[in-house]
Amino acid sequence: MGRLTIGSFSSPAGTMSLDFAIKLAEAAINKGHAVDLWLSGNATVLGNKDQKHYKDYSHLQKTVKLMFNSGRFRMAICEACAETRGCHKDITMDECIRASMDWHLASCFSADRVIMIGDN
Amino acid sequence: MSKKRLGFIIKSLPYKTEASKLAVTHAISSQTAEIYLEDGDSVEPVICFIGDGVFNCIKGQQSMKHYGITSIEQHIKNALLLDLKVMICSEDLEKFRIKKESVIMDASEMGGETLAIIASYTEIQKEMNAVDHLLFF
Amino acid sequence: MKLCVFMSECRSGSDLIDRLEAEKLGIILVCNGVYHAAADYEIRSWLFPKNAHLYVLAEDLESRAIETSRVAPEFRVITYSDIVDLIFNEYEKTIWI
Repeated sequence: MGRLTIGSFSSPAGTMSLDFAIKLAEAAINKGHAVDLWLSGNATVLGNKDQKHYKDYSHLQKTVKLMFNSGRFRMAICEACAETRGCHKDITMDECIRASMDWHLASCFSADRVIMIGDN
Repeated sequence: MSKKRLGFIIKSLPYKTEASKLAVTHAISSQTAEIYLEDGDSVEPVICFIGDGVFNCIKGQQSMKHYGITSIEQHIKNALLLDLKVMICSEDLEKFRIKKESVIMDASEMGGETLAIIASYTEIQKEMNAVDHLLFF
Repeated sequence: MKLCVFMSECRSGSDLIDRLEAEKLGIILVCNGVYHAAADYEIRSWLFPKNAHLYVLAEDLESRAIETSRVAPEFRVITYSDIVDLIFNEYEKTIWI
């Protein structure tokens, strides 16, 4: 099976681009592929613990948790982008990696396919 | 021991969103990606500005003065200082009547020697064909 | 190169697609890009490249009240699972616009 690296800058609430990334990741994992998800900019908010679900907003955390359980999913957030937004380590999901941008490039190195969702 | 080439293709205008800035800073981070890789493996970025993205390359940006943030101009110069390949689409400069003299071409004041390349879209397309992965911003 | 383009916008991106050259070009309409697939809307002010393989994501059509029956015949309606197969088996590189 292959390895897919998805990058996104999009906020988990307020736009639907990150929904696409998560659904694509889920579909790839269900087919047996491994997925790395790199979140930068506003997307880093997805790494926060205990996000509430209101019906006016997407709730991607539930799917993220299921993907972690698959053992074929890694999610990393840009530490500087997260810190800028007040998303410190103590409120980051335990499974979520905090790293600098070079993590993403190294992930691209190992990937069979790369998708960068470079809009906000 | 292998090298993967990544094409960072920037089509977004500066500042309203951070897409173009993040593109350049991600490309620059290639310099330290080796810490995650096997000995001898590396990542080589090429940064290409196309379409509206060429507006990122105009000299004299004063975002530090007004927004309190490092300018994209400075990030582009940092990329040149690190000898990253930076290409700017000549047809798009022409389309927007951006003079070549107003485009960031070097980081000479920081001691950089590498120059940006004003290239035809055909040349940029060749790079897009040649890289291992494309990342559009 | 075999290139797969995810088109997520309704009003922009056509200029980029017009310039792209690929040995094999796939265009997958997603998010607001799916409006281009509705045969009965006057949305498309440009033509997709003749040689492109055209796809549209079923979920995003449904979310926007576009029934499959209204999709122009040149598009294949696909799922996320199909996208995974396409990007791993049919194309080498992907871009999002």
